[in-house]
Amino acid sequence: MTPHLEAYVMLSAALFAVGFLGVLVRRNTLVIYMCLELMLVAATLALVAFSRFNGTEDGDVFVFFILTVAAAEVAVGLAIIVALFRARQTVQVDKLDSLKR
Amino acid sequence: MTPLETALLVLLAPLGSAALITLFLGRRPALASAMSVAAAALVAVGALWLAFGGARFSGGFEWLRFGSFAVGLGIKYNDLAALMLGVVGIIGLCVHVFSLGYMRDDSAKSRYFGGLSIFMFSMIGIVLADNLFMMFIFWELVGFSSYFLINHWNARKSASDAAKKAFIVNRVGDFGFLLGIILCYWANGTVSLSALEAGRAAPGLAYSRLIPLLLFCGAVGKSAQMPLQVWLPDAMEGPTPVSALIHAATMVAAGIYMLCRINVLMVPPAMSVIAWVGTATALYAALCAVTQRDIKKVLAYSTLSQLGYMVAAFGLGSVGAAMFHLTTHAFFKALLFLGSGSVIVACHHEQDIFRMGGLRGRMPLTFWTFTVAVAAIVGLPGLAGFFSKDAILVLAYEKNPAVFAVLAFTAILTAFYMLRLWKIVFLGAPRSEAAGHAGEGGISLTAPLVLLAALSAVGGYTGLYPRAFEGVFSLIPEAEGATRVIILVTSLVVLVAGAGTALAFYATDGSDSLDRRSPSVFGFLSSLRTSFDAAYDYYVEKVQQRAAMVLNFLDIVVLAGAVVRGLAGAAEVVGFGARALHTGRLSTYVYWFLGGVAVLWAFAAGVL
Repeated sequence: MTPHLEAYVMLSAALFAVGFLGVLVRRNTLVIYMCLELMLVAATLALVAFSRFNGTEDGDVFVFFILTVAAAEVAVGLAIIVALFRARQTVQVDKLDSLKR
Repeated sequence: MTPLETALLVLLAPLGSAALITLFLGRRPALASAMSVAAAALVAVGALWLAFGGARFSGGFEWLRFGSFAVGLGIKYNDLAALMLGVVGIIGLCVHVFSLGYMRDDSAKSRYFGGLSIFMFSMIGIVLADNLFMMFIFWELVGFSSYFLINHWNARKSASDAAKKAFIVNRVGDFGFLLGIILCYWANGTVSLSALEAGRAAPGLAYSRLIPLLLFCGAVGKSAQMPLQVWLPDAMEGPTPVSALIHAATMVAAGIYMLCRINVLMVPPAMSVIAWVGTATALYAALCAVTQRDIKKVLAYSTLSQLGYMVAAFGLGSVGAAMFHLTTHAFFKALLFLGSGSVIVACHHEQDIFRMGGLRGRMPLTFWTFTVAVAAIVGLPGLAGFFSKDAILVLAYEKNPAVFAVLAFTAILTAFYMLRLWKIVFLGAPRSEAAGHAGEGGISLTAPLVLLAALSAVGGYTGLYPRAFEGVFSLIPEAEGATRVIILVTSLVVLVAGAGTALAFYATDGSDSLDRRSPSVFGFLSSLRTSFDAAYDYYVEKVQQRAAMVLNFLDIVVLAGAVVRGLAGAAEVVGFGARALHTGRLSTYVYWFLGGVAVLWAFAAGVL
């Protein structure tokens, strides 16, 4: 039997929730970054499922855009994290509080 | 030089002198005093040239404009101003010259002469001012100069207290004056003296009697009329020439001059108030003068009393009589003060009359000039005071018998206290070491005395002024001496009664005969003198001070506490809360982000 649309959407929502929770509770910037990617993937999954359900290509096109942007974002984001580590010798967000001081 | 330029020169020369002395000559007293005397001489010459040159003019320009309201500066030079300017010029020159001798050893001579010059400038400004606002500006300037010069010996606490008292008491009167000016502007649309005269504006309006009374408040303060007379006796703390110039001859007479300048605004009810204030002051001050021990304070109360005569004369409707007495009084009272200054110098700054005595032989020139002045003030026939006082008595006799009775009685007292002073100071034997070694001062001390004695002797003959002051002197009732028998008899009886009693009653043995023979009368008169000060002290201490404490409490609790501190506190609380949001932690911001998304969603969903 093929899964229903609801199952895809539920999986997508679960992935998004895991990613969001990770962003909220984790302290390591790298992990937070991975969680952000997880949220993007969850959105992509939902878009693909809707596209398939509706029989149109709209969602698929959107997915390509998201993947492209995410790739660029990863390149920039990882570079920032590396630079941050070089500057501060840490990527723990609770240590990175110079905005406050 | 046109008359207008001369008038400007007369006005500005003392200002220039004061500025130069203050800025550059602080450490060069000889040059400073020379410059100040030169300015005074220029003023005297210019004033007499203007007066007898016959030119009468007015002119001015607009100084400030706020919308439809304009403040002008200008000169209005008529016979009245000519007379006053002449008096100021002559007395000013005499006092400047006298000061050269009197202040010879003073350590702050430059400051003193700078003060005299700034006073001359301010006083001439009042005399020439062509509108009430300009007059008010100079009015305040003479107040400042008076403060400055009373305070000359500022190391003495009594002098600085007296200066403050003079300034503050004058503020009370000046506040009424300012209100009067504003009301006058509001009612008539102008404060220019010429325009007011031309328009005789707004008679019969409800507030038309309020305007002259408010303006009279200024005169009450400056001319030390009841109930603001308390500052003048204390002002004797200043150097004696200052007392002669400011607190006898010119500044205190400015109140009467101002009333004469605004004569057109007067209405009968206000006039009767003015007449009675003057009469009451004349009587009260004469009673106070009887018990004084300080030579200058006797003269100060005498000044108050004579100013009361002038105010009463004005109140009875005669500008001429008031200005005539102002002129003669300026001569003989300045002479009395300068004579007392000469005595004070000779006795090494002793002012207690009971520690003088026997000066007749040692200081003949001072004695004889002083005698002329005493004869003039008590109204000996033929001398200046006789004519001017009789003019006032004639006026009072015609207009108001009650005022006449009080003024005639005051004349008895005048003769009484002046002869008391004269006898105790000059007759008998010396009663102190200093009085025993007294002698005449230099030429700068005696020359002004002689000049003023001459003026005191002949100043009452209006025929001597060759028509220069016609506009004022034509208004004097019976200027050539009273023709009516009753007035003549009254003034002679008054003179003989007062003078004879004093000469017979007082002994020259170094104690007050009145105190010895009738302590109760003496005590009553002394308490009369202190009653006003006591009443004001009570008011300040018990009423004003307590009201101030209540206001201070309200200020601390309501303004400083609730309003100022409260607003600051509110801002602080908000800031504290906002700072708590800003933790610097990424996760906190994410939570805020989450919250923001939730709110946005709720908004989009229509929940909010």
